[in-house]
Order: sequence, then C-alpha cells, then structure tokens
Amino acid sequence: MQIQGYEFPEDLHYDPEHFWVRVDGDELVMGMDDFAQKLAGEIVFVQLPDDGKKLKKGKKLAKVESGKWLGKVLSPVDGVLMGVNEALETDPGLINRDPYGEGWMYRIKAEDAGQMEDLLHGGEALEAWVQAEIAKHASEA
Amino acid sequence: MSASAKLEIERSFRDQIGRCSRCGFCQAHCPVFGASLRPAVNARGKMLLLKEVLEGKLELSRELAESIFQCTTCASCSTNCPSGVQVPEIIKAARRDMAGLGTCHPAFVAMDQVLEQYPNIYAEEEPGDFDRPRNQRAEVVYFMGCVGQYREEEATEAALAVLDHLEVDYTLIDEVCCSGVLEDVGFGIKPVLAEKNLELILSTGARTLVTGCPYCFRTFNNKEVYAPIKQEGVKIVHLSQFLAGRDLGVRTDQVVTYHDPCDLGRHTGIYAEPRKTIRALAPNFVELPHHHADALCCGAGGGVRGAFAKNSLDMARRRLAEVEEVGAQVVLTECNSCAHNLSNAKLRAQKFRVLTTPQFILELLEQSQG
Repeated sequence: MQIQGYEFPEDLHYDPEHFWVRVDGDELVMGMDDFAQKLAGEIVFVQLPDDGKKLKKGKKLAKVESGKWLGKVLSPVDGVLMGVNEALETDPGLINRDPYGEGWMYRIKAEDAGQMEDLLHGGEALEAWVQAEIAKHASEA
Repeated sequence: MSASAKLEIERSFRDQIGRCSRCGFCQAHCPVFGASLRPAVNARGKMLLLKEVLEGKLELSRELAESIFQCTTCASCSTNCPSGVQVPEIIKAARRDMAGLGTCHPAFVAMDQVLEQYPNIYAEEEPGDFDRPRNQRAEVVYFMGCVGQYREEEATEAALAVLDHLEVDYTLIDEVCCSGVLEDVGFGIKPVLAEKNLELILSTGARTLVTGCPYCFRTFNNKEVYAPIKQEGVKIVHLSQFLAGRDLGVRTDQVVTYHDPCDLGRHTGIYAEPRKTIRALAPNFVELPHHHADALCCGAGGGVRGAFAKNSLDMARRRLAEVEEVGAQVVLTECNSCAHNLSNAKLRAQKFRVLTTPQFILELLEQSQG
C-alpha cells in the first residue's frame, strides 16, 4: 500500500524501527522500509556481519551509513544470522532503489517465532503507525 | 581588472597553474584518477580547467564542482610533480573562490552549516560516552576528534585503554570539532569552536596535547587560531609519537602491514614512529607496495568520503588490494578516518583485518592476560 508517497507492502511485517520482515520457510528475511531509506538518503555502506552471529531482539545487528547519517540495524527477533545480501557490499544503493526486493539485507533464523507477534502487520495498524511516523519526523525537521 | 583577477587562484596561483606542463606524472599517483579513470578529476585535468577559468573561457561554476571538489588533498600529485605545482593549495584556493561565488559543492556547504549549529561534523547532539573523566587537571589532554568520537568509537576506546594501561595521567575534554577541515573545502575555521577548544585544553594545565586524529594534529600545529597552545608551552603530539618507544610488553608473529595516512605521512612527515611501535609488536612486519611518501590515499580525506562516497570506497579498495598482495593478516593505521574508510571498503572475502595500532595493542594485551 502507498501511504503519503511511501510504499509499504501489506504482506510484510514491520519493526517500529523501520525494518521490514518476511517469513521465508524457516527463516526470516529483513531490510529497511521505504520511509527509512528515503529519510537516510543514499546508503553508502552496510555492515555485513559473519554468518552465525547471535542476535538479540532490539539489539544492534549491524551499522548502516548514508552520506549524512550513521544508523543501527536492530534485530527484530532473538536468533542467529544465517546470511547476508552480498550484493550490498559493492552496491549498497540497492536498498534505496529496491528496498523490498533486491535491497534485502539479512536472513535470520529466529529462536522464538512468537516474537513475530510484536511486529506490525496488516493495513489498519500499518497505516496508523506510518501516519504517526510521518507526522513525528515532520515535527522534528 | 579582469573578473578572474578577483579570484584567489588568479592572485596567488596564476604562475603555478600555468607551470603545469601537462606531463601527466600525477595520473600515476592520483587516487581519484586511479579509481575513476576520469582525466578531469586528476590534477592535470584540474589545472587545465583552472587555466581556462583564468583565460576567461570557463566560469568557476557549479558544473566544475565535480572536478574541483573531488580531491582528497592527499598531495600525491604535488609530491611527484616535476614542475613543482602545489595542487592541493590551488584546489583549496579554487574551493574558497567557489564558496565566495556561491558555486561550492552542496555537501561542503552543508558541512559548514552543520558546524555553525553543532559542535561536531556529524550533527550529533550528545558527546560520545567513554566513561572517563573530562575537563580534569592532568599532565596530558587527549583530543579524540570527530571521527574517533562518533564513527570509530571502538578505536578511541582502545586508544584510551592503552593510555590507561600505561598509567598515563590524562584527561578528556568536552571537545568540539577542530573545524580545520573547513579550510580545505572552501570555508574557514569556526572561531567559536576554536575558542572553546583552546579554553578547555588550556584549563587542564596539561603540558602535552595528544590527539588520535592526524588532521586535528595538523590543525593544532599549523593554524594561527590555535597558536596559543604552543605559546603556552604545551607540546602537541600525535598518539603514534606518544606511544613510540614505550615498552608495551606484548608481541605477535602475525604478518602485519601499515597504511600511512596522508595527513600523518606526506603532510607531516611522521613515518618512523608508527613503525617503531609496530615492529616492536610484530617482527613479521611487511611494507605495502606503496609506502611512506608514496603511500596510496585511502580515499576518505578532503571531505571526499562524505560527498563522493562510492569513489571514496573504490579508492579504499585499491589500497586494500595491496594488503592482499603482500599477504598481511592485519593492516594497521594511525588515522581513524582511514580505518573507517578501509574497514567499510573491505570485502567479506578478504580475510585480513583492518585495525588502528591502539586496537591491535589492546588485543594483544588482552590475549596476554588470558
């Protein structure tokens, strides 16, 4: 769905820190959502940790940099890093150009699939959250 | 008076710009040309463009910003120029001219504006937390620099841990950006920031100012606004000079190499001290193919990492290819900006590590303590 010019596919789950999550078999795939990538500007560096890294929900998984911003990718769940999108190593701009497709970032094996319940999912909840985020950042600008 | 006579490049550098013989020796050394293969961004190309400005054929317009601002001011060109053209100084003058004309690259205008509002180049509102006292009376005051405080915190934490291990009587201060970089990109040091740093540094009573950043080191040493530091008898040293010759009590047989930062090496002539420390730690030290005054720039300097990130990282990858060539397991450097750019550029498939020398020292100390 489009919300004030930002693309938010409804079939995905969203972490309030602006990461999307998709269930893919017994793993999760995650990336930055459209609002975050637009706010960040052109992504110039994405940290790609080694596979096997232990992850804790809400804790730093990796760093991301644009020309003006250094951000943290926070893990949406407890788990283990199973893979990274190696294309981002030399073309981090994929996140800006195709945040939900070619710009995916990490694959995670979750310890507790129930933690997905904490993520936002579905049209109404999504719309309310995105509208609030847009308003919040507009007032901070 | 011609329009170009109002420009600093006309008043101060007309002769030098004309002296460029277009031999192209600079192309063999320029990191930006090496990464992009675009003649317009090489020193020879830049001198050709500025010559046309002086001849009234070109304006110093925004269109020239891609060339004039895409320079790390590494001085590889001028170091190898047979005609003695001081390209970095000319580039800085051209940038000042463009800032005056309002045709400066927007990324650098933004840098100047950030330092009008914030105490650091990253517009961070809170200081980095290193859990150590600030603004105390001490023998040594340690100045972290913006990159060390906000982008390479682990490297700064390691530097402080090494100072702690050596039981150095030091203090941090509520430092603000030295703002020296603004003089390289068309603007000037912010007097408010400089005064704040001077007040804090001199209030500590320290006899030595140690900085982890070669750029801050150059700024404190060379810029008139910071002259009171030396006038008060405070010695200014880079961390690599402070550590050289100290017995750290650890060794490794890892194969280690060293990347000379441009701001420490070519610009300041500090080559021996970092190597003295590293050789004592790692007897299996090997030089990179381009080292000392011939070192390849990492691509981060002169604001290039902020404004031209892709090319900046491509330059870093060319440097890292040399680390692979010599078979080093670790590449050390004494500049947080270099460490940041090189570690960002390192590919996952490259198994060597990029560390600052203090990070490496700390690692060895922790291993020796089991």
